[in-house]
Parts: sequence; C-alpha cells; structure tokens
Amino acid sequence: MFFVIGSIVTISSHALSTLGLCCGAQFLDYPRRWCVSFHLPLDFMPTNSTPKAPSSFSRKGFSFDRVFKYFFASNAGLTIVILLLIIGFLLKEGLGFFPGYQRELQIYRITGMEYIDISRKNLTSHEQLTSVMNRAYFAEINGLADRELQRSTESSAMVSHIDDFTASARDQYFETIEDANPAPALIESAKQKYAALLPLAMKELPLTPHLSAAERQQIIDAMLARPIDNEDTPELVNQLASEYATVRAKFATPLEPMRASIDEFEALGADLSARVSEMSSKVQVIKAELNTADIIERDRKTLLAAADSAKTPEERARLMAEAQTAIGTVPDTATPLRELLSGNEAGQEMHRSMHEKISAWSNNVNVALTQPEAQRLYQVVGKTLPVFLNELSATPQALAAWDAEEPVKLGTAIFSFLTGKDWITGGEWQDFYGILPLFIGSLMIAVVALILAVPAGIGAAIYTNQFASEREQKIIKPVIEFIQAIPSVVLGFIGIFVLGNALRELSISSSLSWFPGFPMEERLNIFTAGCLLALMSIPTIFSLAEDAINNVPGVYSEASEALGASKLQTTFRVVVPAAFSGILAAILLGFGRVIGETMVVLLVAGNRIKIPDFSAGIGAFFQPAHTMTGIIAQELGEVPLGSVHYRALFVVGILLFTIVLGINALAHRFTRNMKH
Amino acid sequence: MISEENLIRKKGKEGKRGKVVDRLVRSAFAGVTYAIVLVALLLFGKIIKDGAPTLFTSEAPFINVSFLLDKNETLHVFDDEQGVRYKLPASEYSEFIKKNGEDSIYNHSSYSYSGGGIVGPIVGTLLLTIGSIMIALFFGVSAAIYLSEYAKESPFIHAVRLAILNLAGVPSIVFGLFGFSVFVLAVPVITADPSSRSLLTIPLFFGDYVMSFQGWNSSLMAGCATLACMILPVIITASEESLKAVPQGFRDASLALGATRWQTIRRCVLPYSMPGILTSSLLAITRVAGETAPIMFTAAVAAKDDLPWEGADGPLDVLSSQVQALPYHIYTLAARIPNSEYTQQAQYGSVFVFILLVAILSISSMVMRAKMRAKLKW
Amino acid sequence: MNHAIQIENLCFSYDTKQALFDVNMDIPANEVTALIGPSGCGKSTLLRCINRINDRIPAARVTSGSVKIHGIDVMRRDIDLLQLRRHVGMVFQKYNPFAKTIFENVAYSSRIAGIKDKSVLADTVEKSLRDAALWEDVKDRLHESAFGLSGGQQQRLCIARAIANQPEILLMDEPCAALDPLATLKIEELIQDLKKKFTIVIVTHNMAQASRCSDKTAFMYLGKLIEFDDTMSIFSNPQEKQTEQYISGSFG
Repeated sequence: MFFVIGSIVTISSHALSTLGLCCGAQFLDYPRRWCVSFHLPLDFMPTNSTPKAPSSFSRKGFSFDRVFKYFFASNAGLTIVILLLIIGFLLKEGLGFFPGYQRELQIYRITGMEYIDISRKNLTSHEQLTSVMNRAYFAEINGLADRELQRSTESSAMVSHIDDFTASARDQYFETIEDANPAPALIESAKQKYAALLPLAMKELPLTPHLSAAERQQIIDAMLARPIDNEDTPELVNQLASEYATVRAKFATPLEPMRASIDEFEALGADLSARVSEMSSKVQVIKAELNTADIIERDRKTLLAAADSAKTPEERARLMAEAQTAIGTVPDTATPLRELLSGNEAGQEMHRSMHEKISAWSNNVNVALTQPEAQRLYQVVGKTLPVFLNELSATPQALAAWDAEEPVKLGTAIFSFLTGKDWITGGEWQDFYGILPLFIGSLMIAVVALILAVPAGIGAAIYTNQFASEREQKIIKPVIEFIQAIPSVVLGFIGIFVLGNALRELSISSSLSWFPGFPMEERLNIFTAGCLLALMSIPTIFSLAEDAINNVPGVYSEASEALGASKLQTTFRVVVPAAFSGILAAILLGFGRVIGETMVVLLVAGNRIKIPDFSAGIGAFFQPAHTMTGIIAQELGEVPLGSVHYRALFVVGILLFTIVLGINALAHRFTRNMKH
Repeated sequence: MISEENLIRKKGKEGKRGKVVDRLVRSAFAGVTYAIVLVALLLFGKIIKDGAPTLFTSEAPFINVSFLLDKNETLHVFDDEQGVRYKLPASEYSEFIKKNGEDSIYNHSSYSYSGGGIVGPIVGTLLLTIGSIMIALFFGVSAAIYLSEYAKESPFIHAVRLAILNLAGVPSIVFGLFGFSVFVLAVPVITADPSSRSLLTIPLFFGDYVMSFQGWNSSLMAGCATLACMILPVIITASEESLKAVPQGFRDASLALGATRWQTIRRCVLPYSMPGILTSSLLAITRVAGETAPIMFTAAVAAKDDLPWEGADGPLDVLSSQVQALPYHIYTLAARIPNSEYTQQAQYGSVFVFILLVAILSISSMVMRAKMRAKLKW
Repeated sequence: MNHAIQIENLCFSYDTKQALFDVNMDIPANEVTALIGPSGCGKSTLLRCINRINDRIPAARVTSGSVKIHGIDVMRRDIDLLQLRRHVGMVFQKYNPFAKTIFENVAYSSRIAGIKDKSVLADTVEKSLRDAALWEDVKDRLHESAFGLSGGQQQRLCIARAIANQPEILLMDEPCAALDPLATLKIEELIQDLKKKFTIVIVTHNMAQASRCSDKTAFMYLGKLIEFDDTMSIFSNPQEKQTEQYISGSFG
C-alpha cells in the first residue's frame, strides 16, 4: 500500500505540479490582463506578478519557465518521498513481526516447551559449572606439569611442521603406491621431491625454547634420516610425550578427590538430563503439527480471498472447494500437555532432591589449587554455584506456578524482543528473538572504536589546524582523507588477515599475559573490529573537528596573543573551547557512522550471538560478538520471505535507523549552535 | 613594571621549563597525528606488497591482463605423472583432462573463486556505478538547482533539507533493506503474467498486460536504483555547493538583461558549476563502487558464468540480470571460502585492483578539484 | 618629561612592500596619544609594532630602527614576547570577547599568568571592571555569556580584559569604529579616566574623536610620520601642508 501511495505521489508531483499549478498560477494573472485589455489604469490592481519576459509561449498563458521550476521542485520533493518510503516499508515489513512472534511464543507455551525450558535452564547451568570445574582441574594439572607439557608440545610441533611441509610429496607417494600399477617414475619423483623439501622444512622450524639445543638437533636428525614411507615419530618425541603423561598422572594423584567430586557433581545432573530429553522429543512432535496446521490455515485464507476475486463462477466454486478440503484438524494440544504435566510433581521433587544433594556436595568440597588460572576459574565457580543453587531452589515453585492457559500478550512479545538475551534462529527447538546481545555487541564495538578514534582524530585535528606548517598540512590532510575512500570490505579483509593475526600473536606472547583477556581465544573479536572501525571513523571525526576549529574566528587567537598567552595556551584555553560544540558534533557523527557500519563487523567481529561474559572484566572486549548490522547482512539472504525471522530483521533495521537518525539529529543541533 | 628583568627572556632552568612543556605537548599531538598517517601508509603498503604481484608481471605489457579480463573460475591444483604441480582455472583444467585423460591427475584439490580473473566483478561494478550515478545525477542536480536557484524559505524547503540531512545519515544496510523491500519486491512491472505475491495488479488497456507491483527481483536495475537513492543526498549537497559558488553577480546581470530564470540557469550558472558537480560525482563514484551492503540483496551474486551481455535477449534482459560486483567478490573471498595459499593470491589481487581503482578515481578528483579552483578565480 | 615609548627610525615591510618609512616618535607617559591619517597610512601597522602583534603575520618584519619601551628595545631577539604583551595591552577594532563568561573573559590574563586563587581572581576581575566603568552593569551576571552584552558593553569588556593585568601601556586600534555614538561617548569618557593610570595610544580615523580625546596627535600619510604635536596645535595650527589638507577634509 505504501508503495502505491509513494508512486502516485511521485508521478503526480511531476505531472500535476508542472501542469496544474502552472495553470493555477496563470489564473492569478487574469485580473491584470483584463485591465490591460480595457485600457484601465493598473494602479488600483494589486501588482503581484512581475511582467514576464516575452517568450513565445507567454501569449498562450503558458510558460516553459514555470514547467522547469515545478519539475525541479518535484525532484527536490523526491528526497522526501524516498525518506518516507524507507520509513514506510521498514514499518510495513517489520511491524508484522510482533504478532508473529506473539503467536510463536503462544505455541511455545501451549505445547509445554516453556515448561520444559524451566528445567532445561538448570540443566544448562549445571553443564556449564561442570565444564568450568573441569577446566580448573586441567588448568591445575597442566600448570604443574607445564614444563613437560611445553617440551612435549614443542617437539610434536616440530614434527607436524615438517610433516605438513613435506605433505605433498608424501601424499603423492602413498597415492601412487595404492595404484594397481604404480609408475616407477612417479615414485622416484616423489622421493626426489621429498628429499628436496626436507632441508627447506628445517629452515622454518618453530621455536622450541623449552628444549635444549641437543634435544632439538636430535629430533632434526631423526626426521632427516626418516625415509618417505616411514610415518613414525622420532623416539625423543615419544619419550617426551610419555614423560608428560607420567608427570600428569603424578600430579593427578593428589587431585584424585577433586576429580572424584567433579565426577560426582556431573552425575547429579543425570536424572534431570534424562527427564528433559524425554519431554523434549514428545513435545517437538506436537509443535510440528501445530506449525503445519497454521500453514494450512493460512493457505485456506488465501484460497478464500482468491475465490472472492475470482472472475468466473466456475472458478469461484473450484477455489471454494479447494478451500474446504484444506481445513485441517486443529491438533489436540491439551492431551499431550496433561500427560506432560502429570509428571510435574515428580519433576519438582527431582529438582528439590538435586538441590539438596548439590548443597551437600558443596559443603564437602575442599580443594587447594596452586595455579593462578585454576584459581581464577575456581573463583568463578565459587561465584556461580550459589546463584545456581538459588535458581534450582526457585524452580519447583516456577514449575508449579506455570500455567499453559495464560495468554501471551503483544506487550510480552515486544518486551522479550527488546530485553531478550538470546537470538536463536534456525534451531530445532525454539526460535528466540532478543535484541540485547546484538545491541550490546554493537555498543561495545562502538565504544572501543570511539575510545581509540576520538583522541586520535581530535588530537590530529588540533595539531593540523593549530601547530602544523603549511607543508605538513598538505601531506597530512590528503592521507587522512584518503582513508575514507577505502571501502569497508577491504578494511574487513585486512582485519581478518592482518590485524587479527597480529593482535593474536601479540596476545600470546608471555610478557603480556598479565593483561585481562590475554591470550585472546579468538582472533576475530570486539577489539579487532573496534580497531578497524576506529580507523574508519578517524577521517570523519578529523575533518569535522578540523572544520570546527577552523571556523573559530581568527580574532579570538589574536586577542589571546595580545594578552600575552603562548600558542599552547591560546589553543587550549580559547580556540578549542570555542569549537567545542562542533567537536562534539564530530564525535557524535563518528559514533553514528560506527554503529551503522556493516561489512567490517560482519567480517571481523567473530559473529557469536551471545552477550559477552563480563565476569572477565576488560577481557570481555576480547571476546567475539555479533552486531545489529551484521545480523541483517548475514541472515537476510537465507530467510524465507514473510516469515517471523524475516520480519525480525526488519525490526532490527527499524531500531538501527532510529538510533542513527537520533544521533545525527543531536549532532546537527550542536552544529547549529556552533554557527551562532 | 617594565624593566630589563621582566622583559628579557630568561635563560636557564626557569625559562627552559615552560619551553620543555611546550615541546612535549606539541610532540605528543604531532605523534598522534603522524601515527595515524603511518598506520594508513602501512595499510596501503601491505595491500600493494601482497596484491601487486598478482596484477603486475615482470614482462611486457607489465600488467597481468588475464587477471583483469578472464572470468572468475574455480582453481584446480594437482600434480601430473612427473610430479609437476599445476594450478589451472576450470576451463584449462577440463582441456587438460580432455587431452591427457583422468588418470594423469594426482593430488587434486579445488578452490572455488580463486582461479581465472575478475572481469565479471569489474564489469558488474562498472555497470552498477555508471547506472546509479546517472540516475542520481539526473535527480540530484535537478533538486540542487531548485534548492539553490528557486527556493524561498517555506515548509516545503525545510522538509526537503531535513529529508536530505536524514537520508545522508541512514546506514548502508538499512538501504539494503529498503532496496530489497521496495525495488526487489514491490515496484511496478508491466507483465502479462503477474506473480502470486504481487501487492497490487492494475489491468492495462492493451492485451493481457497488467501493471503488477511485484518488484524487479534481484537485478542490475534494482541495484542501480538502491545505490542511486543512497548517493542522492551526497550529490545534492555537493551540487548545491557548486551552484552556490557561482557568484550572484552572474545571475543578476543575466536577469537584468531580461532572460528568464531557466535561461539564466542554463547559460550563466550551470556551465560554471558543472566542473564542481563532476568532481563531486567522482567522489560519489568512489563511494558507490565500494558499497557492499546495499547490493548484497538487490543485485549481487557470487558466481556467474557469463558477462551480463552474453546470452542476453536485449537491454531489458541485461538490466534484469544479476551481476557480480568487486566488493561482493572480495567479501566472498574473505568470508565465504576457507583460506589457503592459493586463495590468498586471488584475495590480495582483487583487493589491490579495487584500491587501485579507488585511488585513481580519488586522485583524479583531487587533481580536478585543484585545477578547477585555479581556473575559476572570481 | 617621561617618555613611555620611543620610536626611532622605524622601517617596516609586509613582504617586499614597505609600510613604514623612518618613523620617529616619542610618546609621553600617562597621556593619550592619537594616530590619525587616511586609510592605508600605516597607523595601525605602527601601533601593532609596539606590542609586536605583527609577528603573527608570516611575511611582516621590521627592516630597521627600534621601538624602545622604558628604554628597552622590544625588537631585540631575546625579548620574552609573552611578558611584553602582558605589559602592553591591546584593544581591537571589532570587540572580540572570548566565547566564555564575563568573569572568565576578564580573568583570562590572570589565569594564563598562573594565578589560580579564586579570591585573587575575583578581586582582579572586580577592579578591572570598575576601571572600565562596566562593573555596575554586569556585577549581577558575571557568570553569563559575554555575548549577551550590547556592542558598547562588549568593547568595554575587552578594555577590562586588556587592563586586568595592569599593563603600563594600552594600545587601542579604532576602538569605537563598530559602536554607536552613545557607546562611543562612554568609551571616550573612559579613556580620559584610564589615562591617569596607563599610557594610551589610540588609532582613529575620526578626527573629531582625536581632537576630543587626545593630548598629543600624530598625523601619518603613506607610511611616513608627517607631523607630531600637541593636539591643540595640530588642529588649530598645523605646520605641514598635508596635515592641514587632511584636517580640513580635502582628502581622506
């Protein structure tokens, strides 16, 4: 509908305005011409139209000039039309999301999936706790056995490197051997290639700081001596591996109690796990039936609508008949639900007993850890366990209070979109559309980018405008402005292959291991994306800030210097404060640009749709994330048209549009202030 | 009191301290500025270092013409009986097999998008850019003429300026959504066979034809239209600036001689503002060529066997076909395929060509701008 | 008589174009000296040499001669410019208060001299504003923006700002050019008050103003000092023909 209105407006503004308004304007001229034709004095008539230059059409009361004017005016109006179209279509496609999501949440409730998820939440927390405890256990052992671990790893790394390097030759050899009639020439060439590659491989061996020079040489010699068909690892490597295993076992012995308690904890969740999977498989069948019924109903409605607008009575009858057959049976959800809830009491009891047992377990646990990483992880366990226990104790109540009949309101759908912590789509269980992880991802990346770009951009602007010589300005300005010309895809590309690797290497180096979040687990994360976006937004901030500083009237600095202020004082006490609103506008516009950027974050931010783990402090910024812009780019190509998922992406677009527009409006308010 | 002591600059520690602070602050700011410049130069350097080998060869004509003119194909890497390693694009690979038979291939692996050249993306980008700039120039310059020559303060003008400001700030992915929902799915098409998801069909007077609001599907047309909408505010602002830069005296003199508004614009204003408009459209071309998000869903496709005009039935067919595009190609190479030493060549080569294109356009626009400023001194 | 400023054989050029030719002038202390002459005669250039504010212009330089303030040649290379300008204040043609509050405008020179004590600053501000005859008008709105004042008030604010440091010499470059007659009158009254404490050199193209305000007048033409005498004598009995022609309005 919107487009019809839009196109009518466009066409009419071009046609109607040029013709209709032309004539209308001409009408105003009649009184004057009437006077002239009767030789009446003109002074009593309002002369509101200036005499036109003689033109061949003016006698007919029609002037091309007016046509051009209204033609241009309608082109100017085109911008309004486009903006309205954008808003209109975003709303058209996006607003349908909320009723659709509401229906999905309703199905989620009446099939009992929501009920199951109450228990499943505890299960997930339990699994996570188990995993963290395991990590602590292994961190402890590996920390104690660090030296042996390093030696073993490094020696294997050497072997793998050589193997990889000579892989082509060895693959060729083995493939040829497998042939029914192996060609001797090929075997020979494989051997020759192998012999040529080996010494080359030795040149780029990885460093082995934990191996002595003699040991390293021993491995090298062993590998050099190894023929092409031999795939055994050198003796020293095996020896180191078994040393590691021994030491591990040695350190594992005093940690036996810890191992046992972790295993015990894990076992405590077995009952719940079984119950949840059993319920899930039953419920999924019902959900599938409900979805099919919805589709059939929708088809039926389409057929009825087509029947209404059918051209011939026969066609109408045919369509009506089709519609009739399409009435599917509404699946019975009540019975399976009752069945599900029949186990409610048992389920609550299960949770209560789990709670008791785990509380008992936690009172008996006594672990002394020596390695810092293990200690940190154990601290995390210490913080999360009470939370888990609280949730567990509240669950029986939640299970008892759960009501399948409670209707899902539209407001709930809106609320869970705006505050939902999960964006899960395309899964087998249930789709959730919560904007929070995406929003936080966008925000965190923007914060990193601004922290880097604002001081740099404004500092550069101040330097270039106030302190730099003409010659310097000629170099600095074009280079910085050229950064703007680099397409964002190229920056994303650089980010993946250059920056990501470089930052990861940096973080692995042991001298920086004290920094929270180092070493980085993923090379594509918030920080990397933030760095690239900073680079992208620096030219924007730079040129706007520099303009603002340039626009400060020269008399200010003249007066300041006449009062005996040094250049530095003049710059920082008078000029920069005077340009303040312009600088603020520059920062805001940079922020808007960063939030709206798509390709860089799509390629470099890691694409993990999850709120980063803030318990790691600053380390949260080194985790991967996803953004509002990235999710649209990533998923729009794969969603079925008109589905809830499709519409959800449009709602994200609406949100993005609103945020960026708001920021720009604010920025322009500041720019207007600047030009007082 | 004015005295020798007060006015003569102090030597020694007292005077030095202020100077040291001064130097430190200046160096700090200089450092920040040059750090940015350094990072930028390192970036360009890296791209040039890794990309130039793909594009430039050591023998005449010094440019790897086949990279620029061949179509994009899958790369096949294998060894033959003698163990010689071959890296062939798909077309040459099938010829090799025809000549030597299937058995002569050993250790075969294939890498999509990494072989052949990038003529498809280059052509696609050129078509998209030219199309969208032409559309945007037509509407944009007209709008700018109205804003600078005819406009008086009125709610309409206020609304137009507001719209331009807001349009300029819309993120590119939202333009992608807009282009998708409007140009791909909703704009009217004249056809005899409307699709079932059409929004509205209006029967026309001749034959079976109806005007069906079903969109142009993902096509060159849709892509050009989306990009034109995106670049429109930039063109309008730049054109208005060029028009305003023409001295008012020109217009006054012309009008005083009895010319109409349009005659004045056509003869006394537009010709002098044209260089400025063209310079800014060069910058707009740079921007349009580099955008990926708006064309991802409206025109671009990752793999296409023929160039747009090969196998087409006419101009309408070309306009309604999907195209490859250079930024989308780079995106595919970077994100959609696994990385290896063979793909790196294609990746860096494409990036380098792209940057080269952008650099040439930017530099020419800067040169043109400088030349123009020197010529038109009024 | 105590001479505050002694200008000896001063020659000044903008790039290759010479603007001042051999100017010799002794400006007395605690009196108002006016520089008059037609446009382009070099009076502003001469004024701006005294506090070396011309140094801001890259191509401008003194080619020969000296400007001595209390016996010290300010053209010396080891002069501390910042100190010089704290002792020689300047008021400009178009009032240019900073984009700050009234208080901060006047307190600026104290702040850059390193004074942070709030009570000291407040005292300085009050004293300067009283001396500039602006205190009564603004005492209730010291922390409002300076741009809220009228044109005449803003110029008086600039005067207050210039005298906050108690400079010995006050240079005024056509201070009333942008003001209406009422405001001009107020400024002229102010100048009479200020001369008790400061040596004032004022450039003006308004001859009537020169005759009203100043004790001594110098007439300059095309970069040369034509005549320099008591104001009374210049206006009633000029020695040089050019002076007489200018004063009677034959050219200007």
